Amino acid sequence: MSSVDYSQEPSVLEGKPPLRKIEDDIIKPLNTKPDKKYYIALAFTLTLAFIGAIGLGYSFYYGTGMWGNNNPVGWGLPIVNFVFWVGIGHAGTLISAILFLFRQKWRTGIARFAEGMTIFAVLTAGIFPVIHTGRPWIAHYLLPLPNQHSLWVNFTSPLLWDVFAVSTYLTVSAIFWYVGLIPDFGALREKATTKVKKIIYSVFSLGWRNSNRHWQHYEMVYLILAGFATPLVLSVHTIVSFDFAVSILPGWHTTIFPPYFVAGAVFSGFAMVQNVLIFIRKIFNYEYIIPIDTLERMNKIILLTSMMVGYAYSMEFFIAWYSGVQPEQFAFINRAFGPYAWAYWIMVSCNVIFPQLFWIKKIRRSVPYMFAIAVFVNVGMWFERFVITVTSLSRDYLPSSWAYYTPTLTDMAILLGSFGLFFTFLLLFTKGLPVVSIAEVKAVADGAQPSHKDH
Amino acid sequence: MSTDKGNKNYWKSINEYNDDNSLKEAKHHEFMNGVTDEFEPDQLSGISRRKFLAVLGASTAFAATACSDYADKGEIVPYTKRPEEILPGIANYYASTCTGCSNSCSTLVKTREGRPIKVDGNPDSPINKGKLCTKGQSSILSLYDPERLQEPLLKGRKISWAKINGEIVTALKTASDSGKEIAVITDEMTSPSYNKILNELSQKYSTLKIYSYKQFNQKTRFDAWEASFGTRVVPSVKFNESKIILALESDFIGKEGNFVENARLFAQGKDVVANKKMSRLYSVEGGMSLTGMNSDYRLRLRPDNQFDFVLALIDEVSARLNKPTNGIPKVTMNSFVAKNNLNEKTVKYLVDDLVENIDTSIVHAGDTLSVELHKAVNVLNSLLSGNKLYDFNNSFVEIRKLTSLNDLKTLAANSELGALIIVDSDPIYHYPNIFEDAFKNVQTKIAIVNSKNDSSAVCDYILPINNALESWGDHQVRSSVVSLQQPVIAPIFNTRQKEAILLSWINDTAEVFDSSYHAYLQSSVKELFYDLQKPSADFSKYWLSVLHDGIIELESEKLSGRLSQFSLEKPAKTTSEYTVHIQESYFVSDGRFANNGWLQEVPHPVSKVTWDNYAAVSPGTAKSLEVENGDVIKLTSGGRVLEIPVMLQPGLADNHFTIETGYGRKVVGDVGLEVGFNANILFDSTFIFGIDQVSKTGKNYKLASTQEHHALDDDFVKDFHKSRHIIQEGTLEEYLTNPEFLKEHKHDVFSITDDIEYKGNKWAMAIDLNKCIGCAACTTSCNVENNVPVVGKDQVENGREMHWMRIDRYYSGTPEEPIPSNQPMLCQHCDNAPCENVCPVNATNHSPDGLNQMAYNRCVGTRYCANNCSFKVRRFNFFDFRDHFENEYYNNDLTQLVNNPEVTVRSRGVMEKCTFCIQRIMDARSEAIKEGRELHTDEVKTACQVACPSEAIVFGDSNDPNSKVAKMRDHNLGYHVLEELNVRPNVTYIAKLRNTHSEEN
Repeated sequence: MSSVDYSQEPSVLEGKPPLRKIEDDIIKPLNTKPDKKYYIALAFTLTLAFIGAIGLGYSFYYGTGMWGNNNPVGWGLPIVNFVFWVGIGHAGTLISAILFLFRQKWRTGIARFAEGMTIFAVLTAGIFPVIHTGRPWIAHYLLPLPNQHSLWVNFTSPLLWDVFAVSTYLTVSAIFWYVGLIPDFGALREKATTKVKKIIYSVFSLGWRNSNRHWQHYEMVYLILAGFATPLVLSVHTIVSFDFAVSILPGWHTTIFPPYFVAGAVFSGFAMVQNVLIFIRKIFNYEYIIPIDTLERMNKIILLTSMMVGYAYSMEFFIAWYSGVQPEQFAFINRAFGPYAWAYWIMVSCNVIFPQLFWIKKIRRSVPYMFAIAVFVNVGMWFERFVITVTSLSRDYLPSSWAYYTPTLTDMAILLGSFGLFFTFLLLFTKGLPVVSIAEVKAVADGAQPSHKDH
Repeated sequence: MSTDKGNKNYWKSINEYNDDNSLKEAKHHEFMNGVTDEFEPDQLSGISRRKFLAVLGASTAFAATACSDYADKGEIVPYTKRPEEILPGIANYYASTCTGCSNSCSTLVKTREGRPIKVDGNPDSPINKGKLCTKGQSSILSLYDPERLQEPLLKGRKISWAKINGEIVTALKTASDSGKEIAVITDEMTSPSYNKILNELSQKYSTLKIYSYKQFNQKTRFDAWEASFGTRVVPSVKFNESKIILALESDFIGKEGNFVENARLFAQGKDVVANKKMSRLYSVEGGMSLTGMNSDYRLRLRPDNQFDFVLALIDEVSARLNKPTNGIPKVTMNSFVAKNNLNEKTVKYLVDDLVENIDTSIVHAGDTLSVELHKAVNVLNSLLSGNKLYDFNNSFVEIRKLTSLNDLKTLAANSELGALIIVDSDPIYHYPNIFEDAFKNVQTKIAIVNSKNDSSAVCDYILPINNALESWGDHQVRSSVVSLQQPVIAPIFNTRQKEAILLSWINDTAEVFDSSYHAYLQSSVKELFYDLQKPSADFSKYWLSVLHDGIIELESEKLSGRLSQFSLEKPAKTTSEYTVHIQESYFVSDGRFANNGWLQEVPHPVSKVTWDNYAAVSPGTAKSLEVENGDVIKLTSGGRVLEIPVMLQPGLADNHFTIETGYGRKVVGDVGLEVGFNANILFDSTFIFGIDQVSKTGKNYKLASTQEHHALDDDFVKDFHKSRHIIQEGTLEEYLTNPEFLKEHKHDVFSITDDIEYKGNKWAMAIDLNKCIGCAACTTSCNVENNVPVVGKDQVENGREMHWMRIDRYYSGTPEEPIPSNQPMLCQHCDNAPCENVCPVNATNHSPDGLNQMAYNRCVGTRYCANNCSFKVRRFNFFDFRDHFENEYYNNDLTQLVNNPEVTVRSRGVMEKCTFCIQRIMDARSEAIKEGRELHTDEVKTACQVACPSEAIVFGDSNDPNSKVAKMRDHNLGYHVLEELNVRPNVTYIAKLRNTHSEEN
């Protein structure tokens, strides 16, 4: 221990892998036939997605009445899922953009994957605003399209902001992701085993030749896009939180929502990335690219955001009490002790209590423990959205219209379907594109930087 | 290309092959014989080939361009010959009579293009004065009920009227000739002409006997009045002039007597805005009725103890007034109060009030109480106000005395019955213990009914009769008023007027013509009323004029009402631990409206339960029985067993159940089938009786309620309606001493943005909570006017009822002594409407005249507006409720006719809510524009306002300082719900004042 040399930045990769090995290891899954396990996994996720499709079919054929939504609770699981999935997306942009700007080298091993998750999560989330409308066949009314009625959209509605925020986020993330992939496409093109692959990779590599000029342009574009994406990390969930915060409903109408939602989104996003990466590094033998150190760093962020979320929970209570407004106070007391207390306490224990175990280094570095805690975090964050959306609505101003909301089978089918869709995307991703950025990882590997030794 | 093809000889038949001559001849013609007979170009109309092609082309173009979407159903056919008086798009109004109950309220029926779409009260009627109850309003749906009987049926098979009538007349003659009794069971008689026909029928068939019954009636009141005053003409009560009203198990503003009239009179006594004074209502009851909810003081007392209570009151009052009574058994108040654990203070207030306001206090007993009790009440009233509060001009009269229960039992026991004729009634459902197997051996069983019911199910001959809106009639239930009934639509099905059927039996005509009764009615009216009144006009003019007005006003004979001497006997008291009170349902009545979805779905005014009946029980008793809401219990009385779910009702007397009947009909249409439980099987001879055994069954049943049931003693959610200022309350005394007492707690709420200025009209509403009794007539009227769909029990359970107007009910106090508050809640049309700014597509927005509007076409259905509505008055179409409910029950050509053509029928996935009846505003506005003048505040009346029997709802232009609504907005008692949100509602509520004693607070 005493021999640690603090003047030298420790490598984020383990065991000084040669550059060729890195490239080969990352490309290997793309050039090998998927095994049986892969097909089993794909069958499973497709089945889930199919269940979701059946749920959607029912909803479209019969109407939104197939869900548990009722009169006070106008928004139920679809909106909960929407906020949940948008939140999951956040870690990706945070890792790829913000950590990039902060020059956090450990991000290189996980950035590509996290970005992919962002896009898939936002795609999954994007389904919900459309399907949750009563008349999805005219959902395009939400877009500012010129029409013969001379009707324009209502720019004061947070839902409209949502439409813009999420679509912008999706576009920018996708471009950012693609730009980051260009050097890798170049590498893949060279290693392509079939002609078809070669053509596809050639097209997508945009003539990448690893020239100095290419690298210069690439680095600059990547930096600018990172700069673009950074405010989006904050803005998307801020605007999603406006859906709630701009209303006058007790429990929704709180100014703490924007930072609270962003922290929560990063929290759940990191937990999801961590969960999936644990599988990826094991299956593809990427333990040296995504070492336990990287996972530990993610766990630290989870711990940090957990406490931010915990702070927000307590602050909501404090402000409700401090406001002196009875319906406001009741909204929060009702969360903790009303008919949805079970959901509230699931949320608190999963989001605030369990992550505290990450104070212990052993747990922070133990794969099974961290996996379990991150699963809890995901469960907890889903429940957070449930608690915010449903409990506030189910008991608002007039006690005469209070009602309990119970999700139906169709609701659950759509929830399962969203997971199915998301993981189907992920599985296809692992076989279609390099899940780790070859260029970036090689750039942080030992010996990639110019040095005076070993020449 | 084979060249010899043309030379080939093809043959079609052997004959042809053989070169038959006839075929050669036939082949010579292009068409076969006869085919062209009808095709003679000269005889075709003058359409040339060219024109034909032009028309063909045009119609193809029309067909191609007229795109049909999902909303386009059926064809619109214009009149080829327009009937007189009908202008498309302009409504016609006709006076008629509602026959939903025995009150026979005069109605005004709105028709559009010949079809009735709305029934309201007739403003010319001195009794109901333009008001109509929930049942009357909804009865229009029964007209368009596709499950009504449509054809005469003989043993279930369709048959012509002439045939079935011929068979019946023969059968009746046989029965009559063989000396066997022909029993006619009919509903309570309200029509003098119908009564006359029945009398004539019994002359024709000598063995014919008439049984007229109604399950819930005023018979005890009539019997007691006859015993006390020697006449069966019973005055109505001037509730408006009464200062102290004591209601004993009486729901006089909810369902007893002419409750619509009573509600109006009662509300006049509560009009603190106009008069600055109020009557005080004491209610003594075992159940929790609408009247009990509206009382200032309420005493929980099981009905079987109420006779003693009246005796104790007589004892106390006569002692205080020094007016001794004789023949009255003595019960002292002190011992009674102690024995029944009554609130001493309330009883003291009651006695003081009765004595101090001797001329203006009235005691009113419920219809289901015993004759003896009513007699005792008559004694008590004669000690108090005497005749001063009785309205002898508007007395209740009997057209025919109701048959006693004993006579019905005798009928059931008659094994020698020759024929049975059931006219427009359902005795087997109402009295299953009497009639269940009674008519098995009767040869000829005839049902003259509107829809199939439990009684028609046992009959061989089924004669369908017209709906009330297709019928003629005269109805007299009050001494001074006859209400005339005229058809507003030709019979939709092959049905006949019941009177016309009976007339055909009298006249021995095989065919039945409704016109025969039309003529009979005219002559009968001439004889009964015209000749009596001797007006100067000739009869045909008189007839048209009374038909137009719908009302014949008569001179009422002056009655004295002097109490005769009689003695009171204490009725035998039940010794059972538990008692049960069988009551009429508020909305489905005695079961006659069971197939009416609108009525099934109106929330019970007290419990807010829809689509069911239940045994209401006090929370205390439920605890000792260890049952909770929805637990099914078994009640046994004299061997009769009923299984029914319980509903915990705060304020009920302990060890007492109240059960409404009218549910659980076995033979009924799809809507009413398997709805609720038939409590009639428990009934023996009185409505209040002991229960031998109460046991749990372990079963559970889900009751669909539109309001959550919170335990009253749960501190967690207690009295929120008060702490959130949803219901603002005070006492009359508080208000009189400090009229501004309500404004003292008010804070100024300011906007940080500029307010929008409304020029011209700005529509607003005011609701007086002191006058509102919570009867839900407004809800129904709104349903009918605005095409509000029925969603069914499963959807109500899910909280998806669609009512635009609802009555919120809150309790404060304890589960034993709850203090209920009612509040009609509808879209508040806020100036700063929170729903408007969150709609992403501008589907909901504000009109220049202050309305919060909904553009259904634009609505995508995000439901964000409903979430952000502080009053939760927005309603979402989770399904296409018209085809979702009961196997598309409402999705047929007939039922769709009930829709108001001025109001869009909303599709699935669309938000909707109260519009302040914008179609009525537009109607009035186009009228004003046509006449080139301003639109005045009182020109528009919303559907709820028109229906409100207590006139609690005021609508108008709040920009007009002289309008009633503007005055109520500025009234000291006026407040808005959730004012502190600064959403600026346009519905003002007048705070509820309770007329209680000051030391109470």
